[in-house]
Amino acid sequence: MAQPAASGRKPVTRGVVTILLIVAIGGALVVPIYARSLPKLGDFPFFYWYQLVWVPVVAVACWLCYVLLRTKPAPAARSRNSGSRNSGAANGGGLQK
Amino acid sequence: MSHANAVSFTILAASFLIVTVIGFAAARWRPAEDPMQLNEWGLGGRGFGTFVSWFLLGGDLYTAYTFIAVPALVYATGAAGFYALSYTIMVFPIVFVFGPRLWSVARARGYVTPAEFVRGRYGSQGLGLAVTLTGILATMPYIALQLVGIESVLAVLGVGSRSGNALVRDLPLIIAFIILAAYTYLAGLRAPALIAFVKDTLIYVTVIVAIIYIPGRLGGWGHIFGAASAHLKTVNPATGKPFGSLVVLPAGEWAYATLALGSALALFIYPHAVTGVFASRRRDVIRRNAAMLPAYSLVLGLIALLGYMARATPAVNAGVAAGGGNVQLSVPLLFQHMFPAWFAGIGYSAIVIGALVPAAIMSIAAANLFTRNIYKEFFRPRATPAQETRVARLASLVMKVGALGFALELNKTFSINLQLLGGIWILQTFPAVVISLYTRWFHRFALIIGWAVGMAYGTIQAYQTPGGGQQHFGASTAPVFGHATYIAITAVLINLVVAGGLTLIFRATGLRDGYDETRPADYCADSAPAPAAEADARSTVTAAP
Repeated sequence: MAQPAASGRKPVTRGVVTILLIVAIGGALVVPIYARSLPKLGDFPFFYWYQLVWVPVVAVACWLCYVLLRTKPAPAARSRNSGSRNSGAANGGGLQK
Repeated sequence: MSHANAVSFTILAASFLIVTVIGFAAARWRPAEDPMQLNEWGLGGRGFGTFVSWFLLGGDLYTAYTFIAVPALVYATGAAGFYALSYTIMVFPIVFVFGPRLWSVARARGYVTPAEFVRGRYGSQGLGLAVTLTGILATMPYIALQLVGIESVLAVLGVGSRSGNALVRDLPLIIAFIILAAYTYLAGLRAPALIAFVKDTLIYVTVIVAIIYIPGRLGGWGHIFGAASAHLKTVNPATGKPFGSLVVLPAGEWAYATLALGSALALFIYPHAVTGVFASRRRDVIRRNAAMLPAYSLVLGLIALLGYMARATPAVNAGVAAGGGNVQLSVPLLFQHMFPAWFAGIGYSAIVIGALVPAAIMSIAAANLFTRNIYKEFFRPRATPAQETRVARLASLVMKVGALGFALELNKTFSINLQLLGGIWILQTFPAVVISLYTRWFHRFALIIGWAVGMAYGTIQAYQTPGGGQQHFGASTAPVFGHATYIAITAVLINLVVAGGLTLIFRATGLRDGYDETRPADYCADSAPAPAAEADARSTVTAAP
């Protein structure tokens, strides 16, 4: 399931994204990495400061993946004039059961 | 009520009043051309961009679980409670992977709930119903957990009489809930989306002040960790073992990892989380938010540390003991004893509003499920959008009453078990909801039987687990091959093995497969004009300009 929805992306990009996400998850999932009290940062045992530091690391990793997978260069600029809040298509598109 | 409590309560009541006004006003926020569409009431018009979604999802996912249950667990057991941080770290890379596909197929096909996707993907009413019932069932204890959070604040403030009559005792809670139900009924998802701005601001302010101010008053972090460590080493007379540890011990690592992983896999298939995702305007919004939402995880980590600050405050320990050992009171008591009364009021407001927002979204999500997957599917296939919306509004009221009953009746020694129990159930829909986004290899009947086995195993196992002074539903981990493991993970593995084995048998015997109404392009669809590479994608998805 670790296949990002990136149809049409280069294999290298997909590989990098997959590795980034696996490392991000693994850094929290593999508990023996951080189940220790030393080295301390200030008064914080390693167990605590490692996990708190890992949060922004994962955020940056996700952002990198987002940038790598982004298909359109400037989505923010376009959304302003599209005004497509009311999804008429989504409303009527698939409801004929 | 003491004078200080009266000041805090006034602040809390004022915040509640402001939020109530916002809740009702939200009906006019981003007004829809036709408000009687389920897309409008139940998904806020599917029009929230990155910014609003960030607040909405943050307000949706970080609940009384974060503000009350997690620090209570840390207060009582130490490092074991920190699995919640590990969980909220893992959840965003996970949703980064499957969230956009789920959003796209829902957008392309007009699905409002995850169960509609499953039904459409497998052409199976039964499987859709299984996912629906699981979603509603798992949401109930989660809403109840929000009420427990509100109750703990009211208990510390001394609001409500000590009457033996539950209706009188819990009157303030019931009133708050009726008001919440009223504006949710009227404004739908727009109400919690708009209130989420207030909630998140209050949370950030409270947590930042707490994390800077309280350690100074308690003699620094060294003292806080020292006091916590000293407590955790003492032997619990009830179990004959230490209360916990400051760092997870090797014996506890497996439980820690599986609780975190199980919760992370479960979070974004909860109906309320899916509702938050489906309300996004574009596919990209989900990935951007996967990178931005961890800001809340950082807050969760800091809030978890409040558990240790509470432990290092003798007055809190005395208050918890006086409250019959109710550790849920630890954070409200910490605010009461550490902050001036007015700021304690801000902190209480953060907790209470922080519980109201997710409770509203959860009831909306459950109402959407009922409307689309039960009412429309089985009773009124030709229901008009206006009828759908009316039914959903009424269903949201019923859901709240159900959750209120859940909260008033249930034992709350460890409210976190409410959430973990919900996790056991909802994770059994993972094969049908998430794996189906990638492959349709599983046979629909195999998925139903796998789901049933997983649900049965998980519920029975949880029922048989004693803990916290209870005979049943006392804990969420059970030993597997000598390792304490989150029951949800064991149950979903059994579920997958059964579903996989039966799929092979059903395929060999040529049992008929259902019709898949989705198309490969649906899974990459976006609301913006499709780029050339996806030109053959269903262009109808493109929203009207």
